[in-house]
Amino acid sequence: MKRLSIWLAAPLLAGLAHADYRLETVAEGLEHPWSLAFLPDGGMLVTERPGRLRLVDADGALREAPVAGVPEVFAEAQAGLFEVMLAPDFADSGLLYLSYAYGDITANNTCLGRARFNGEGLSGGEVLFCASPAKRGAAHYGGRMALLPDDTLVLTLGDGFDYREQAQNAGNHLGSLVRLSLDGRVPDDNPFLGDDRARPELYSIGHRNVQGIVYDDQRDELLINEHGPRGGDELNRIQPGANYGWPLTTHGVDYTGARITPFRELPAFTPPLLHWTPSIAPSGMALYRGDAFPDWQGDLFVSALAGQQVRRLIRDEGRVVDQQVLFEELGARIRDVRVGPDGYLYLLTDHADGALIRVVPAS
Amino acid sequence: MGFVLALLVTTLSGSLIQTQFNLAALAALGAEISLSTRLTTSLQDLLGFAPLYAGMVVLSLAASIPLAALSRRWLALPPALLYPLAAALGLWLALLVADTLAPMPTLIAATRSLSGTLAMLGGAALGGLVYACCRAGRTS
Repeated sequence: MKRLSIWLAAPLLAGLAHADYRLETVAEGLEHPWSLAFLPDGGMLVTERPGRLRLVDADGALREAPVAGVPEVFAEAQAGLFEVMLAPDFADSGLLYLSYAYGDITANNTCLGRARFNGEGLSGGEVLFCASPAKRGAAHYGGRMALLPDDTLVLTLGDGFDYREQAQNAGNHLGSLVRLSLDGRVPDDNPFLGDDRARPELYSIGHRNVQGIVYDDQRDELLINEHGPRGGDELNRIQPGANYGWPLTTHGVDYTGARITPFRELPAFTPPLLHWTPSIAPSGMALYRGDAFPDWQGDLFVSALAGQQVRRLIRDEGRVVDQQVLFEELGARIRDVRVGPDGYLYLLTDHADGALIRVVPAS
Repeated sequence: MGFVLALLVTTLSGSLIQTQFNLAALAALGAEISLSTRLTTSLQDLLGFAPLYAGMVVLSLAASIPLAALSRRWLALPPALLYPLAAALGLWLALLVADTLAPMPTLIAATRSLSGTLAMLGGAALGGLVYACCRAGRTS
């Protein structure tokens, strides 16, 4: 482990207490790392977007050889291997979930697979779900997952960029969240069940590209962040069956400067809890519960790509009342932020030579 | 002067056209687009979209108009046909290059469909026609 030996006082917004921390590089040489999962033995699994799953041992050493048995992925631009998430009974079953892009440049979309990890490799892989229709291009896949307390999981999806109007079409999976049982079946109480024109897996619609998801067990809230276009990145509280408006409503404009819609909000659609305009390009998201940083208890942490930072969102009764910009000194696109079982924050930098970084208290 | 007018006509018509295509896509989803909303959005796009689009149009016209003039040695097309055709082809090429270079599949949303692309090319052809008319006025 290489210490950066940087002692930092985090940049502050008005009214916030100092939060001193130190950044430690746990592993380097990761190619566009996308997500990580903490293993019960203290190790970590890290996905690399080109399609590799890497194992970081409990002592912090990055295994040279990738984990064998990862499904074939479509790796191009934003496409590739996305999230790794352990099953709730992983300690007994060894089961984990992987989200990834599958197909080719003319026909692809996000899939969800499950396999058994024995500490060395994956076996018994099965595909539980693939979003449809297959679409052209290599943009906007979503790919994040969260477990709900009723033994279901929610998978985030994207609109495929060129298909933005399809986010309003419940007859496909583009621009939506889907909810599945842990073995991939459709839960009996999914909100769109009973609508013959809608896909039964849908949990919410009207999203653009959902890149972060967190379930807050204390507030019983499912929260997501999603990329807006130029401006209009959003934090949303998910209600089953709700429509979040994209592309009929957004606070952003197209990358060309063109208006995507005249409407920022409309009564028919659930508005965001907050939006970031100009964009920060939110990526991962974590809810802090731990002992290492008592001041951060219950706060949300949103990693950002274009913003090259992590936003700490301070909440009061679920409402975001303040924000703090963290870790800008890294000068890196940050793909994911997690809270480890040790109470430390873990960051993944989104570069061809990306790193896994641990945030620990300064003292 | 003819080049500047062609640039203005192509840019302004293209901006207005892409606005209408984007609004039509929203209307197809059930959005109510009032006349005032349409006018406001069109104006916003003239301020927000047209400057970037003008850059693309400048490059395409700077290549297509001289090439069209040069091709008159071999092509016996009247200028009122040749320059619109060249301007439209030039823009089409510019759109292809932009979509290849830009990280997103399609840079200008209105050109995701064939009808939208043809309408934008129609705006370029109009610009080419204006250039041909200016040129004819200058030489007559």
